[in-house]
Amino acid sequence: MHKSLWAGIALFTVSFASRGGAQGALSLEGLGYPTGGLSARAEGTGGGVADFDALSTASPASVAGVGSPALFLQYSPEFRRVTSPAGSATTTTARFPLVVGVLPMGESWTLALSSSTFLDRSSETSLARVEVVGGPTDTVTVTEQNKVLGAIDDFRLALAWSTSPKFRIGVGGHAFAGSNRITFSQLFPDSTKFISSAQAGRISYAGFAASVGMEFRPSRVIGFAISGRKGGDLRAQSGDTAIGKGRLPDHYSGSVTFEGIPGVIVSARAAHDNWSSLNSLSSSGIQAFDGWDIGGGVEATGPRIMQRIVTVRAGARFRTLPFGFNGEKVSEKTFAAGLGVPLTRDRASLDIAIQRAARTAGSDVKERGFILSVGLRVSP
Amino acid sequence: MKLSPILPRVFAAAALFVSISSCSENLDSTGVCDVLCTQIGGAVQNITLDAVLLDTTVQALSGLGTEPGLLLASRGDTLDTRVVIRFDSLPATFVPTGGTAQPIASVDSAYIRLMLDTTTIKGTDPVTIEAYDVDTTANDTSSAAVLALFRPDRFISSQTFLRAQLTDTLKYFISNAAVLARIQSGAALRVGLRAVSVGSSQLRFISTEGSFGPEMFFRATPDTLTAPLTVLPFSRTPVGEAIRAGNLSDYTLIAKGPPPAPPSVLAVGGLPARRVYILFDIPSNIIDSSTILRATLLLNQLPNTGIDPTDTVAFLPQVVLAGKAVTDPAKAAQIIGAISVDTLRLRPGDAGPANVELASAIAIWRTVKPDTLSRAIVLKSVSEGNSPLELRFSSSEDVVTALRPRLRISFTPKVPLRLP
Repeated sequence: MHKSLWAGIALFTVSFASRGGAQGALSLEGLGYPTGGLSARAEGTGGGVADFDALSTASPASVAGVGSPALFLQYSPEFRRVTSPAGSATTTTARFPLVVGVLPMGESWTLALSSSTFLDRSSETSLARVEVVGGPTDTVTVTEQNKVLGAIDDFRLALAWSTSPKFRIGVGGHAFAGSNRITFSQLFPDSTKFISSAQAGRISYAGFAASVGMEFRPSRVIGFAISGRKGGDLRAQSGDTAIGKGRLPDHYSGSVTFEGIPGVIVSARAAHDNWSSLNSLSSSGIQAFDGWDIGGGVEATGPRIMQRIVTVRAGARFRTLPFGFNGEKVSEKTFAAGLGVPLTRDRASLDIAIQRAARTAGSDVKERGFILSVGLRVSP
Repeated sequence: MKLSPILPRVFAAAALFVSISSCSENLDSTGVCDVLCTQIGGAVQNITLDAVLLDTTVQALSGLGTEPGLLLASRGDTLDTRVVIRFDSLPATFVPTGGTAQPIASVDSAYIRLMLDTTTIKGTDPVTIEAYDVDTTANDTSSAAVLALFRPDRFISSQTFLRAQLTDTLKYFISNAAVLARIQSGAALRVGLRAVSVGSSQLRFISTEGSFGPEMFFRATPDTLTAPLTVLPFSRTPVGEAIRAGNLSDYTLIAKGPPPAPPSVLAVGGLPARRVYILFDIPSNIIDSSTILRATLLLNQLPNTGIDPTDTVAFLPQVVLAGKAVTDPAKAAQIIGAISVDTLRLRPGDAGPANVELASAIAIWRTVKPDTLSRAIVLKSVSEGNSPLELRFSSSEDVVTALRPRLRISFTPKVPLRLP
């Protein structure tokens, strides 16, 4: 009986030690969750308008459509619930995934500076296990706490050119930077016998990329946009020591909008990311998968409230998240709704989107999340 | 397209509410860790080392009178201790109720109030406490000189207590004439107490260092409306050494202590009090390159069947704070710091393995290099100097290797904080 108990504990430990470096949620595998750089407006339409949206970072060409100088800040908390056969966890992650400043320069040129979250790895987990510490019969429960805070961010400087709404083109330079602050603790129940320990460290990331985008509107009814980003090296350092190097994933996307119905914009978008170029930035062999990001939605003029015309939005999105779980791809389906409200005589606007995300990886583990995005645009 | 204007308002209000409520982040995903988390720390390794570089028994040199208790014992051939209380400053005048200060011409109802630790009383027979005048010009710390004064011509008074009369507050009445004589002559009153009993007797009073020390009371007038005078223990000597003089205001004098442990044995406690000093040689690669989870000193207890072998002795490991410059273990063992509040309790008469946890010491040594702080501990009785009980352990000189002190360390390799 006693031997079988120990054999069970050993098997338990070995079996889970062989898993990938999971961090308490399907969406937090590997280097973290890609928020996507979409504004609340784009999120509300399932990402359909992202390549046309000046406040999203999908295409540098889109900033030419801003019209007037603008500052934009977005807050996007996620309320997540992960369910496994062994239990469930409910978390709240507060994110500020997007800050954009856009400045038209003359009649043809527009400059934009933005910071968006590329991969967010914020997580906290505790894992208890039984160990023999001391004499052969001294078994004790060790609790491992692992807390990771921080993200890799995408700082983009974009320049766009346009002389008419029919055609816009833009280029962007990207600097990817950020860090993960890691705190690892081993805790014991009895401090008089055991020594609890804590280690803290920081992994810093740095890399560069370049992007280009184009918009073409052959008529007032329809518009097309394409964009692409070429990734350079992404280096990881711990202190002064280089601990890993990978390539920032190449990204390309195409979008179409249809405005044939008065007051309604129907949009769709398909994007592809070569996430597998990040495979070498893993010490535990977590696999990254190239994946598609496909979405579409509708944006329509809604009711008039307090002399303001409200825009309502709805959309859906399907994408593959970068990092797999147990060798399987993690897919995400999202349904979104949102609205946009002009404020102070159109010198500001408030965009709100709520997304219901469901993530799976072909296992018993399910992840559901609500992402609320609130974006405020101000034109000084 | 027509939508109800209420819907966007509700949507916006809900968004505002949720945004505010999400300001408090909660990232804890522990509930699914059985499936989604990976063990990060390495497997625990348990090793036992012959890591004791030096072990020895040293005297507790904290000084005469520094103990928080006063031990008055008469235990036949095994133990004989006396208590000395110095009243070197006696009042010469008093103020009667409604009157003015006047010289003390009489002493009535003089007694010394002693706070007794009733949990440590030994013996059931009546005990007589004799008081002697032990005032002398001899060396303050000369036990022999003071012990020689417990003789009939120095006798002051005596009082017998039945076992039932030994309560936590004891009034020991002392000769009024003796007190008055010292007051009128301006001399010091130094009282030596000795216990006399048909059988074995042992009492422990709280000392001045224990915050509830002895006090002497007497009346300078038969008029009960005038409050009694209170005299606190005070020592004028050694002159110019206020701290030592304060310690000597009341102290325990050992006339006969229990037989000391053999030199090859480690001894903790006893009278005079002893400590064990142990210096370790822990491989630096274990301290520097791994995460130590537990450290245990493995001792082999030897039976001490001398005095009260079935009583319990509480003792603590304390870390030696002396730097490398202090090479004498006897001196280094006096410069110590508390590392644990969890006492280990053993009975002197028992034998077998005894484990002393050193987790807190390791935590200190991990942060200070051995050049600055030696890897040494002291084992010290909690009732050091107040109890004759003595624990004995095998030393590194024991002929049986397995019984020598050893150090068991449990550790894991340090975890590099790396990419996921």
